[in-house]
Amino acid sequence: MVTDTGGIDDHSFNAESWAGMQDAASASGGKIGVSYVQSATENDYTSNIASLVSKGCKMIVTVGFAMADATTASSKKNPNQMYAIVDNASSGSKIQGLQFNTAQGAFLGGYFAAAMTKTGKVATFGGAKYPTVTVYMDGFWEGVQYYNAQKGKNVQVLGWSEKTQQGTFDTSANPFGDQSGGKSIAQTFQSQGADIVFPVAGGTGIGALEAAKASNGALNAIWVDDDGFYSNSAYASVIMTSVTKGIATAVKTSVTDAYNGKFTSTSFIGTLANNGTGLAPFHDFASQVPASLQSELATVKADIISGKIKITSANQPTA
Amino acid sequence: MTTATVTPHAEVAAPSKDRSKLVGGISQAVVGAFGLWAFALGERTSSGADTIFGFSLTHGQSQVSVPAQATALTLSAIALACGLVRIFAPVGKTVLRWLSVLYIVCMVLAFLVWAAAGSSIGLNVPSILEQTAVATVPLVLGAMSALVSERSGIVNIAVEGQFLSGAFTAALTASMTGSVWVGLIAGMLAGAAMSSLLALFANRYMIEQVVLGVVINVLASGLTGFFYDRLMALNGAEYNTPPIFNALRIPGLASIPVIGPLFDQNIVFYAAFLSVPVLWFMIYRTRWGLRTRSIGEHPLAADTVGIKVLGLRYKNMFYAGLLSGLGGVWLTIGNTGQFGKDMSTGRGYIAIAALIVGNWSPVGAFAAAVMFGFALELQTALSPLSTPIPGAFLQMAPYLVTIFVVAVLGKKVRPPAAENKPFKKG
Repeated sequence: MVTDTGGIDDHSFNAESWAGMQDAASASGGKIGVSYVQSATENDYTSNIASLVSKGCKMIVTVGFAMADATTASSKKNPNQMYAIVDNASSGSKIQGLQFNTAQGAFLGGYFAAAMTKTGKVATFGGAKYPTVTVYMDGFWEGVQYYNAQKGKNVQVLGWSEKTQQGTFDTSANPFGDQSGGKSIAQTFQSQGADIVFPVAGGTGIGALEAAKASNGALNAIWVDDDGFYSNSAYASVIMTSVTKGIATAVKTSVTDAYNGKFTSTSFIGTLANNGTGLAPFHDFASQVPASLQSELATVKADIISGKIKITSANQPTA
Repeated sequence: MTTATVTPHAEVAAPSKDRSKLVGGISQAVVGAFGLWAFALGERTSSGADTIFGFSLTHGQSQVSVPAQATALTLSAIALACGLVRIFAPVGKTVLRWLSVLYIVCMVLAFLVWAAAGSSIGLNVPSILEQTAVATVPLVLGAMSALVSERSGIVNIAVEGQFLSGAFTAALTASMTGSVWVGLIAGMLAGAAMSSLLALFANRYMIEQVVLGVVINVLASGLTGFFYDRLMALNGAEYNTPPIFNALRIPGLASIPVIGPLFDQNIVFYAAFLSVPVLWFMIYRTRWGLRTRSIGEHPLAADTVGIKVLGLRYKNMFYAGLLSGLGGVWLTIGNTGQFGKDMSTGRGYIAIAALIVGNWSPVGAFAAAVMFGFALELQTALSPLSTPIPGAFLQMAPYLVTIFVVAVLGKKVRPPAAENKPFKKG
């Protein structure tokens, strides 16, 4: 496996991917050997992939859409090598794309937020305007609109509009690691009347959690990518739920399939149906979530899976 | 944004020559007229929309709704008048300065009235003030740090690295001891260690200081990143869950409407803003200040009258590091708690830009830092209001302001003469 520049302990997709690799190894009873190399900069992608090829790895997992070009180039040179790439589509006959339609999970998050808000305003912001970020924001936005249409309410979304594709993003040089910026954005949302914030911004989002913690209950958060109750346990008291992205499971499946000779170049797309995305448990907030809402969420989830609810976001991954 | 760029030009230009008074006045008037056309007569305000200003941190309380067009019209007209007065009226320097302030306030307000026109969310004034001040804290501390070192003749590009090492050390030590005060002291000392390293290479080994500063920034980023991976990422509960400074509410002042929230902050916040008058006094009114300025302007002369140039440079670099270390302390235990890789996100560089824009003076650097802080906050406050300005443009605002101001002021500002010149005795 080749990590992106975030490194193996990024608490995000690199760590998740590595967890999936390790799961595959332990599930196979040690028959699958796994290892990783870290990319310090974007210039390391090509040489890192090449080093794994020469090491004789059967399957190479590259993490992040930024590595797509390097992976394709390596595949052309080594036509029999198997690859999987996280957050990008399949290309060629030997690269399997592992993608996640997180708009579906975020749709549930948006519906949940719209039902839980007391002020009638919910907010979201992104680290930077990448499709893997805005797909969450689109889903969240659509979830709120769906709630409004169903209930005849008018819950507003601050920080993003799917129609205009304009919204609030961190402005700093390190948009996924700017905690001060995240805190400031969340506090501004609070002053504009929002009481739930959904940051899609990695480390920047931790600042939003801090803002929620400092607000004494006036602001709560929905975490992103993994279950924030565990990954940011210091802020468990303000995390209502999380919109998850099942990278680890997808990587594990892909690696295991390759080992068993079942490699496919068809993209894997994580959805609500295959638990590739979803809504995490409410944990500390469980007692505040009415049973009626829980059953509504189950219905909405079933409707998305059955296609009764259509998610229109243009940022959704396509095979 | 154009508003903020033109006026400082006029401010600096005013004292020098009649011609610059004319140029400044004309540019102010032109921008004022543009405001009249765009903000007051544009379609966003002409439809009879209202602009809502909130005067309480809690949304929905004590809101004032003003008719957007009339307000923008009045404000732009006043701004235009300020420009015209500057061109034609024979007024003194002090009046000119106040005219400039009035001009900026009117143009910024006219812009805000226009931007928020017709939005049901409106602008929350206390929140904008508070967030601007909060964003300004590290910029002020960084700028004051660079001021002390550059006034002594050493370029301090390494503010960013001092922020990072201060932020990391503060978070680590505060987590391990559970005391913010230990974190405060350790963070400041870590900043000072970084700046002393810079002083050592600059003074003793006479390395080009800009290159050196960049190298130290990379070193700080690498070191803190390495220890983050080895300690904090593996055991965040023990090494990266620091306590945060509690807010110290100043009785009386904190109850004032609108500006009250500025007096309900923590000690690092107050220290940052107090550092400006204190440093002004130290630099211009004390023996230490005179000596510091002399070794930054003409170290040989200073040496001739018996000032220990190198000794003072080492000392001042240490003090400078304490200040930027405090800026780092703010980033973690002063504001958001946990440390994250490269969390200073370029603020050290903006702080240095503030110092240059502010012409190496404490008050000027402070004003520039506030301006950058405001530009940073503005995009956050405006982005939910569906303004016609593209989001990417709002995000660029702080950096565009920097480039414009530095370009416009380019020839008017003068660094200390001996900056980046190692001193060699004899």
